Amino acid sequence: MGLKTLLKSGFTLEIYFYKNNRAAFLAMFLWPYLMLTLILGMGHLFGSPSAFRQNVRMDVDPVVYYVASTLIAMSALSVMWGVGGSILWYKWSGTLPYMLLSPNRMSTTLVFSFIPRYMLGVLIQLAEFAPLIMLIEGVSNGLVKIGILALAATVGMIPLLGFSALFASFLITIEEETNVLSWLNPLILLFSGAFYPAYLLPYWARLISQILPTTYTVELARLAAIVGAPPLAPITFFIGVLLGIALVYNSLAYLLVGYGEKKAMEKGAI
Amino acid sequence: MSLGEEGVERTIIVKNLVKNYTTYLRKGLLKREKKVVHALKGISFDVRKGEVFGLLGPNGAGKTTTVKILSTLLLPDGGEARVLGYDVVKEAAKVRKVIGVSLSVEKGFFWKLTGRENLTYFGMLYGLNGEYLRNKVEELLELVGLKQLEVADKLYEEYSLGMKARLSLARALLIDPQVVILDEPTLGLDPPSARMLREMLVRIAHEDGKTVLVTTHNMFEAEMVCDRVAIINEGEIIALDTVERLKQRVADSVSLEIFAFLPAGIPQETIVLKLKEATGYPSSIFAENGGYRVKVVVPPGEAGEATSKALRVLHEHKCSVRRVEIKEPTLEDVFIKLTGKTGF
Repeated sequence: MGLKTLLKSGFTLEIYFYKNNRAAFLAMFLWPYLMLTLILGMGHLFGSPSAFRQNVRMDVDPVVYYVASTLIAMSALSVMWGVGGSILWYKWSGTLPYMLLSPNRMSTTLVFSFIPRYMLGVLIQLAEFAPLIMLIEGVSNGLVKIGILALAATVGMIPLLGFSALFASFLITIEEETNVLSWLNPLILLFSGAFYPAYLLPYWARLISQILPTTYTVELARLAAIVGAPPLAPITFFIGVLLGIALVYNSLAYLLVGYGEKKAMEKGAI
Repeated sequence: MSLGEEGVERTIIVKNLVKNYTTYLRKGLLKREKKVVHALKGISFDVRKGEVFGLLGPNGAGKTTTVKILSTLLLPDGGEARVLGYDVVKEAAKVRKVIGVSLSVEKGFFWKLTGRENLTYFGMLYGLNGEYLRNKVEELLELVGLKQLEVADKLYEEYSLGMKARLSLARALLIDPQVVILDEPTLGLDPPSARMLREMLVRIAHEDGKTVLVTTHNMFEAEMVCDRVAIINEGEIIALDTVERLKQRVADSVSLEIFAFLPAGIPQETIVLKLKEATGYPSSIFAENGGYRVKVVVPPGEAGEATSKALRVLHEHKCSVRRVEIKEPTLEDVFIKLTGKTGF
């Protein structure tokens, strides 16, 4: 069966879900601004926008910076929860065996059924933040930045899919009933510099940040927050790094998820 | 697909299938003890095209393990299983394209989606789309009666168990499979829903020519719907034949059934044990209509003596006897005779 069909089924599931869950639909709209307001509010408690610029050593607008960070952080969390944690959701609802009966590998089904949910979430967040960014940066500059953020969220998702699929297979292999990622997510975001620049972290933490795909997505998003036109060379560089990391993580995931799937089927965990 | 000894097409072939589970028992905070459970001890059987084949056995006998292996969701430790000629381990993807599966009637769907939406989603996941999918969903909703009940557009979370079972069967038929595998499809259903489902299984096999493998621990159900039955107990198949032929194995027996109320505080196991001691034959006990149905399978010539012995035991234990019957043997009696067990 084609991947297109898997994507289509995932998209259909999302549409049905939100159609029948108006509160969840509303929350999806409100959540990005709630998170942004909280972060900005806390930021103002600790200092002014000029103090912020001094601290991050870049000419960035704090609002645009945190819009970018919020979008990337929420997108990263969404991938890690959506792919890594979906296996538990399917297991608890009893749908896991029926998902796996589709003529695809477990990892393919998990990853590709999730992509529509992710893209829908990112699109809605971008559409929500677009007026705010254009208000601060002007229409043309704002559109460029929204484009970079869309690129960061899309390219940044690719390595995270493999990264999260590894956790999914780990969860099903060890028959764990809690999402290990929920403990790791805050650390991953911290080491990636989502809310605190990575270069200000201690040396050992910076080493960890180098192997996390989210680090480069955050860097890409930060470039979008620089006042004026974003520099093209570092953007190309980070996209290259993300694609390289994607190759490593996704290849690893392809091999290890297959192994995890076999182990789970041997143990009767499905 | 291959031909059996009688020249009948065999859609499912199982040879010496073995499955062991390793479990760990916690012994304190850090220690744990390894325990190996032999779920299947080399079972073999085959299922013919267009028949309803029943895998009958008590809980923990190995029925679900067999079904999961045939559904490609569990890897066996040994032996071989083929569906329409495809190996369930090496050709799992091909097997999935020809089977429809229902593993549980009470879950397995998205609670916040309607019955119709759930079917549409799973249909897409299994590769169906467009007009064909829409028509198929409509056809199946009608076939299982959810359309007639006007609940196709109700959320799954509002479904009764009977409705869930119907939807589960509909999903199993989505890809128009040649082989339908159902694990305890009527478990917990009210009698009308269970009857409707049983009738449907027979129709699917006998009219549409599909092969239906159904597991159950309900012997009445097995008698009603199955063309052939394999009795599975502790991971081994102890008998395999048509229901009629299986019943002939106990044709030299009659079933003594006593309906009684047990006083509080007397365990059922005690009654079963005492009856066996007194009559010399295995007995079983089942809860029924607020009381208990006690059953002893005995040779016809000994029915009278066994009855008086059994009544004496029940009297000694202050049980209130309401009815005594002597019946022709049933599948249940076959099981009791073959296993010496007290029933399911």
